[in-house]
Amino acid sequence: MRILLLMLLSLNLFAIDARLKIETDVEHRSKISLVDGSDNANNKFFNLLLSDFKISGHFIADGVHHRGDISSNFISTEKSKEYVLKYALSDSSGSKLNIRLFKTSNGKEIFKKSYAIPRVSKTPFLAHRAVSDINNILKYSSISWINRYVIFARYTMPKRSEIVLADYTFSYQKSIISGGLSLFPKWADAKQQSFYYTSYADEIPSLNKLNIYTGSKSKIASSEGMIVCSDVKRDGSKLLVTMAPNAQSDIYEISSWGGSKKRVTSFGDIDVNGKYANSESDIVFVSNRMGYANIFKKSLNQSTISQVVYRGRNNNSVDAHGNKVVYSSRESHSSFGQNTFNIYLTSLNSSTTRPLTTTGSNLSPHFSNDGSIVQYIKHRGQNSSIGYINLNSKQSLLFPVNGKKIQSIDW
Amino acid sequence: MMKKPLIIISIISLFLLTACGQKIPDIGDAGTNNITDDTAISGDTVSISESAYGDNPSQNSSKDGFKSIYFAFDNYGISSSMQSVISHNVNNASKSSSKIKLEGNCDEFGTDEYNYALGLKRAKAVKDSMALEGVDVGRTVIVSFGESNPVCSSPTDSCYEKNRRVDLYLIK
Repeated sequence: MRILLLMLLSLNLFAIDARLKIETDVEHRSKISLVDGSDNANNKFFNLLLSDFKISGHFIADGVHHRGDISSNFISTEKSKEYVLKYALSDSSGSKLNIRLFKTSNGKEIFKKSYAIPRVSKTPFLAHRAVSDINNILKYSSISWINRYVIFARYTMPKRSEIVLADYTFSYQKSIISGGLSLFPKWADAKQQSFYYTSYADEIPSLNKLNIYTGSKSKIASSEGMIVCSDVKRDGSKLLVTMAPNAQSDIYEISSWGGSKKRVTSFGDIDVNGKYANSESDIVFVSNRMGYANIFKKSLNQSTISQVVYRGRNNNSVDAHGNKVVYSSRESHSSFGQNTFNIYLTSLNSSTTRPLTTTGSNLSPHFSNDGSIVQYIKHRGQNSSIGYINLNSKQSLLFPVNGKKIQSIDW
Repeated sequence: MMKKPLIIISIISLFLLTACGQKIPDIGDAGTNNITDDTAISGDTVSISESAYGDNPSQNSSKDGFKSIYFAFDNYGISSSMQSVISHNVNNASKSSSKIKLEGNCDEFGTDEYNYALGLKRAKAVKDSMALEGVDVGRTVIVSFGESNPVCSSPTDSCYEKNRRVDLYLIK
């Protein structure tokens, strides 16, 4: 009886612990105030900084656009915050950003840096780099993913699309490929120098690779029916490709130069969307082998296939990072209206599943390169938005990309 | 007797709660002497034009005497009402020796790989049906265009039906 009572008390105490941790995590974000010392106040840039601080999950940024002299050490009006960021943006010859970070408890400057970039259109990257540096200087876990390029394909008209380079907020956008039908862009290397994409320039689709700095382009493979690069190994040496050389969509692992080809799945119906999982020894993928689209797992070297998801009747896209899995699930079956798709997070090691979205048409979830953020496409009619969910802090952001429907995205 | 274990558990739990807490990073005065440096973020990127295969994209339906085959929502089976259209296309194919392109298309619901695979299944279903009626499969080339090639974009059922189709034409 005593032992039982002891166990119950212990359980109760740990239950309190879990509840408290959620509350204290919120408290442990740093409060920061922003003071704009630019000659001309720039609301767009201020909002970029706010977005960066918010999605980091490490800061609670004051939404008031303060103005002040960046060269002055005076910070008295922001003493309720732990840190004050003074910044000045100028775009007279290129774009230049100066920042100074103060600790309010002692009024001392703890970080100072200048950033410059020749093209004014790339100014958003200055905000991202500055917030990433401040995050690092305060010894929080890295948020370097905010500095990365996002690449996406969007439809422009029937059988026509363009592939566009952007920052994660879509404030910066530049068309990289236009003119034909180019789809499913996928970064080829960690440094984001080249990407793979599906080209419809010939009689049958081909998988091409383009260097975004030199413009050098090469054809990696082609296939009747369809060909899509679904994932690339972290070292860039191999990729998972959906091909249909026999009019049957299956997953293949091919070398980055297209030389070697290994068939990973050989189901007689639909296998698509292969993603490296665990230590890249396994893949997760979408298959209709149970009569509807669902998520499965397979070792690259063994034939055994296991079901990953046990809910939903149409789970049509997936991504993995280590043992974490995100997937989209269609939750309505309307042939004449907008269907509801939601994003779910699950694990290869447990059956725990957590919804990340609850309304709308949310598709194509992707993990950030560190696995801490999930990016997804939200469709509304012919328009799209890009959403981000910080899995640790639960912070979320949505950026509209008006006018054209996004086909696929990678970052 | 009951008080002792309770006190021990309370102390251990208090210790765990305190230990698990994540502190605000304190960097003290370190970094005061950071030097200013200029950081350029990557170089200029290219813009290229991709050539487009085939005709003007406004001609996004069957031609050369062929008729499009239509499908039910989320389905790639050929309905009985479409069998006569298959027969028509088989007859039309016999009038030429050119290769035949079969393009599978989907409605706008879903933009992912699965949707392209569904378009492929539709094209293959038409190819297999035509083969059953005598068309040489060596004459056919199938490609999925997913949802990229709609004939209309209004949010109506009749429009969505027109987009769930396989188009056929001769490769010249």
